[in-house]
Amino acid sequence: MKKTVFESPIGESYVKAIHPSGLQIFIMEKPQFSSSYAMFGTKYGSIDTRFSKNGGEMVEVPEGIAHFLEHKLFESEDGDAFTRFAETGAYCNAYTSFDRTCYLFSCSDKFFDNLAILLDFVQKPYFTEATVNKEQGIIGQEIRMYDDNPGWRVMFNMLRQMYTNHPVRIDIAGTVESISHITAELLYKCYETFYNPANMFVCIAGNVDADKVLDKIGAAIINHEPVEIERGEFNEPEGVASSYVEQKLAVSLPMFCYGYKQDIKTPIRSLKTKVCMSLLLEMICGDASPLYARLVRDGLINDDFGSEYFNGHGYAAIVFEGESNDPKRVAEAIGEEIKRLREDGLDKKLFSAVKCAMYGDAIRRFNSVDGLAGQLVECAMCDFDLFEEIKLLRTVTIDDVYKRLDLFKEENAVLSVILPKE
Amino acid sequence: MSVKVLSLCDGVQGLFINNARFNTTLVSFNFYMPTNKDDVASLGLLPFVLTTCSEKYPDFSRLNLKLAKLYGAKLEASTEKVGDLQLLKMAVSVIDDSYTLDNESLCVEACELLMRLIFEPKAENGEFCAEDVEREKRKAIEHIRGEMSDKRLYAKKRMLEEMYKGKAYGISKCGTEEQVAAIDGKSLYSAWQKLISNAFVRVNVISRALPAGLFANITERFSAVERFNITDCTVCEPTRKARAVKEITERMDIAQGKLSMGFSSRMHGDDSETMPLLMASDIFGGGPYSKLFTNVREKMSLCYYCSASSVRIKGLVTVDSGVEAVNAERAEKEILAQLESVKAGDFTDFELESSRKSLIDSFKGIEDSQSAIDVWYAMRIGTDEPLGPDECVKFLEGVKRSEVIKAAQGINVHTIYKLLPEEKA
Repeated sequence: MKKTVFESPIGESYVKAIHPSGLQIFIMEKPQFSSSYAMFGTKYGSIDTRFSKNGGEMVEVPEGIAHFLEHKLFESEDGDAFTRFAETGAYCNAYTSFDRTCYLFSCSDKFFDNLAILLDFVQKPYFTEATVNKEQGIIGQEIRMYDDNPGWRVMFNMLRQMYTNHPVRIDIAGTVESISHITAELLYKCYETFYNPANMFVCIAGNVDADKVLDKIGAAIINHEPVEIERGEFNEPEGVASSYVEQKLAVSLPMFCYGYKQDIKTPIRSLKTKVCMSLLLEMICGDASPLYARLVRDGLINDDFGSEYFNGHGYAAIVFEGESNDPKRVAEAIGEEIKRLREDGLDKKLFSAVKCAMYGDAIRRFNSVDGLAGQLVECAMCDFDLFEEIKLLRTVTIDDVYKRLDLFKEENAVLSVILPKE
Repeated sequence: MSVKVLSLCDGVQGLFINNARFNTTLVSFNFYMPTNKDDVASLGLLPFVLTTCSEKYPDFSRLNLKLAKLYGAKLEASTEKVGDLQLLKMAVSVIDDSYTLDNESLCVEACELLMRLIFEPKAENGEFCAEDVEREKRKAIEHIRGEMSDKRLYAKKRMLEEMYKGKAYGISKCGTEEQVAAIDGKSLYSAWQKLISNAFVRVNVISRALPAGLFANITERFSAVERFNITDCTVCEPTRKARAVKEITERMDIAQGKLSMGFSSRMHGDDSETMPLLMASDIFGGGPYSKLFTNVREKMSLCYYCSASSVRIKGLVTVDSGVEAVNAERAEKEILAQLESVKAGDFTDFELESSRKSLIDSFKGIEDSQSAIDVWYAMRIGTDEPLGPDECVKFLEGVKRSEVIKAAQGINVHTIYKLLPEEKA
């Protein structure tokens, strides 16, 4: 297996290897830790609703199928993976997001037994009509639980106004109606396309020996011919459907999500853009910024206020969220601050402080094996080096950050609000 | 990991937890006060006011700018309950000096900053500044009102309020909205004086090396204060069996219902005495091997989540689940039936050992997280020799099946709380 070692100026290192099947493997040894964290994932999430395999016909599958598949993969003909992990004492779980599905375990003992279970169950699907029908009940309840979750609803209501065609607008778990169309045959079709090792990755951090781990993975991966996946294009138009949306739910204080859709020409954002956006957001509304001070002083936000650069394959938006008695005033204040920064430029002292803080945050992340495994997943998904961010933070300039103010387009802004029911 | 406990002065303990795996230092001041309804709101507000300004940093923007310059040092403020005590926590976490770009001395500076926030608040003539108090009051009230947004937590909170009505454990950790609204600069200042003078204090330091002079500085700070009536941390009223089961149903405009249940148990106190209760509760509703997960969720599909947990200090077991309104009665019956099966010893060796292995694994993982270590030791007070996770692993290894059954047999349903969707007219 071809292996590369990446080293950082702060004394940390990790190994990247490519299995002959195309599977990417990332391992960071952390011998001081008691536990280890492993993730086996695929570049397949809720947005992959239209695709073709090996140049074949483009197929469309029901919304929520990637998440449904994740639930079903835990089952096999002779029991489920939870039972197998119960024998070792490991914690196991899985999650599906917009662009990926990951299966994971964390353990302080019997790492190789756990790794064997993980590699085995993810590679052995077992779907029948009976088990599919049964799962529809449980996932239906999960979907209804999210119907009551104002934080979830406020974000998806915004995404629905922001995106006309791109499937980032749909709920990750789909709807009770959409999942009723899922069949065992469709699950196999998705599995055989996206769960090919060439589209997958294993990321591990913790008290492990990288060479031994590579040997075990090498022996456990079932070789398949790599598949060529073409993801459907969604012809997402520029602009947004509407600039405002509201819903009433059982909340005490209005909640909001205020986002600027970014018109993008290529599906993936560079790491430099992500780093610059994080710095810029700290300067616009981080807790040392003048805007944050003003909004708190005027009683318009509380500690739940935050911002993020939300992006993935084919979508990108800058999002501010929180609770407020007057979300419209918060949105206006954000718009005015962006205008002011464009005219006045960025504060050099604040820039140097937020850069320093972000460097500290990057160092801090090496404190946790689960956090590190998650970061290695980012490396696999976006094809960058884990230490690149630390290097970038040393070189990024205030002009690099200032230029990103161009990404905020007033006409692309959407305010989503959840109002209390009477 | 090694732990050294030092008595710094009257009612103030310093714990140095030497752990070389982290590249940050965490210093956490834990103040313990009895939970009583008259003081709970003002004491609960203090950590938030104290960590947003001080004499030296009179506004939070300047303070936050300073924290950013300290490579993003993180200040943490929280109010929690530990048994019948109220825990007020203020902590700072900072990267180790060796990672700085210009060999700055961050750690000592960050510790000094935290101590200034706690001991040198922004106050004049025995009053906190009204603007700071009103700002944090507004946020606290919004937080209290916002508790209903997370229906799962809200249902559990309501269940505990009903279960411990009139008792310290039933008092909300931040007080009520009305109590918070009544706080002013003067009353908050007198709460601060109480805190500094009367609280039992434990300072947890989790790092590669003890920051130079830290414990001496803390001793000096407290020596300048008159310390009296120091909180007795050994007292906690156990949960008694209900004379009659309390059943409450409330309605809200929601899609899915919540079922939250509280149980008394006959076992409470120290880790060394309560491991069988922990295992009984875990077999009942802990991991995916548990009775509630395998039966109520997987076999019967009655709820998307249904789990149990225990609070050893109070001898309390809770179950919470999300249920459709039509299934609520059935889920309740089934949860109680599963408890009966644990009481009857109707669990396999696989279930027993799965629980043991899972709990041991999670205990071993605690040493890998600074915040988990901090929480662990903050929960183990009333002793000069708090047990570490590794010692609890040894207790768990020795728990016998008969002890689990005996612990389960002491568990009795006390309060059943249902939060259901509005009935359609």
